[in-house]
Amino acid sequence: MSLSRRDPLVVGSVVGDVLDPFTRLVSLKVTYGHREVTNGLDLRPSQVLNKPIVEIGGDDFRNFYTLVMVDPDVPSPSNPHQREYLHWLVTDIPATTGNAFGNEVVCYESPRPPSGIHRIVLVLFRQLGRQTVYAPGWRQQFNTREFAEIYNLGLPVAASYFNCQRENGCGGRRT
Amino acid sequence: MLSSAKHQRNHRLSATNKNQTLTKVSSISSSSPSSSSSSSSTSSSSPLPSQDSQAQKRSLVTMEEVWNDINLASIHHLNRHSPHPQHNHEPRFRGQNHHNQNPNSIFQDFLKGSLNQEPAPTSQTTGSAPNGDSTTVTVLYSSPFPPPATVLSLNSGAGFEFLDNQDPLVTSNSNLHTHHHLSNAHAFNTSFEALVPSSSFGKKRGQDSNEGSGNRRHKRMIKNRESAARSRARKQAYTNELELEVAHLQAENARLKRQQDQLKMAAAIQQPKKNTLQRSSTAPF
Repeated sequence: MSLSRRDPLVVGSVVGDVLDPFTRLVSLKVTYGHREVTNGLDLRPSQVLNKPIVEIGGDDFRNFYTLVMVDPDVPSPSNPHQREYLHWLVTDIPATTGNAFGNEVVCYESPRPPSGIHRIVLVLFRQLGRQTVYAPGWRQQFNTREFAEIYNLGLPVAASYFNCQRENGCGGRRT
Repeated sequence: MLSSAKHQRNHRLSATNKNQTLTKVSSISSSSPSSSSSSSSTSSSSPLPSQDSQAQKRSLVTMEEVWNDINLASIHHLNRHSPHPQHNHEPRFRGQNHHNQNPNSIFQDFLKGSLNQEPAPTSQTTGSAPNGDSTTVTVLYSSPFPPPATVLSLNSGAGFEFLDNQDPLVTSNSNLHTHHHLSNAHAFNTSFEALVPSSSFGKKRGQDSNEGSGNRRHKRMIKNRESAARSRARKQAYTNELELEVAHLQAENARLKRQQDQLKMAAAIQQPKKNTLQRSSTAPF
């Protein structure tokens, strides 16, 4: 089932800014503490200090997945000229398991948006095989599309995003 | 300002009286004006003999004729036929006043004409009032109008020349100094008044700043719109997410309810069976 035009990922411009239109094939459940991430949820840096628990669906245990977490709104949503910033990269996650069973190639760096309300996007790709995905040299100027192209990951199989802003912020800052 | 002018006038009159009493002594002072003027004046122009000062005045007149050609010819005439200032103190005084006042008033008229404002009232009073008192008064009003002196370097010499030329006449230093200060102060005031509306610099800068602020405003507006659009999208996305979740949960709820109904039905079907079985099973006792 392809994403409808009313899908939060489409309305929130995650599809377009970060991803190409795709079809959800695998369930993706992201939980920060006791809080399950729904698309568009507003979280503060203190709530995302520690890495979330990610559970993925699927059926075949022999399929491996790559989880990418990026911030496309760096340094600020109004002028995201440093798009994207890689916060987390976990590879080789077997289907029906979670990030704990994967290989954390780029460790989790908690989002701390300096200004504006940033979208933090979690994308799941299905790998061609085990140990076919490697970490990039740096977190800055990451490009999810290019990354997927380089490692032949194809279209995403699942994605989710939440909003994150400064702890005491009450909206975007004009910059 | 009025009170100060009056004060000034009194000073001036007393000074002229003093001068008349000192006419005999003035020959000495005029023969050696350098000492008095150099000691009294703070202006840059060096003290000159009366003849040289006259020559310089004429050269100044020619420079001012540029302004005359631009504008008023009537006062220019007056300027041409001004009495020679050598013979008498009073006429010379007046002549000097006219001479020194004219360029200023002309410039002022020029400025004011360009601004479509009322002409300066001082020039009219000088034209109509021939008696000494009124002239001195008008001088005191108009002489503080060497604003062009600060605006234009051309007239600055004239303005200070006026002060220097008065040195042999006005022997009291205090008078000169107060006059100097007064004229300076007025120069400041009027130069600002003249500069602000008339100068093309100010206008251009104003336009530029307007454009800049307009640009900035426009940019800010665009950014604000983008930000508002993002905010709406965020809200919409979250609403859609919640709606989808509601739909999903409703569907799941419906499914679970159906399942429960089915189980209930099954239980209901099973129950009598069980009962009958139980009864039947328990019956043989």
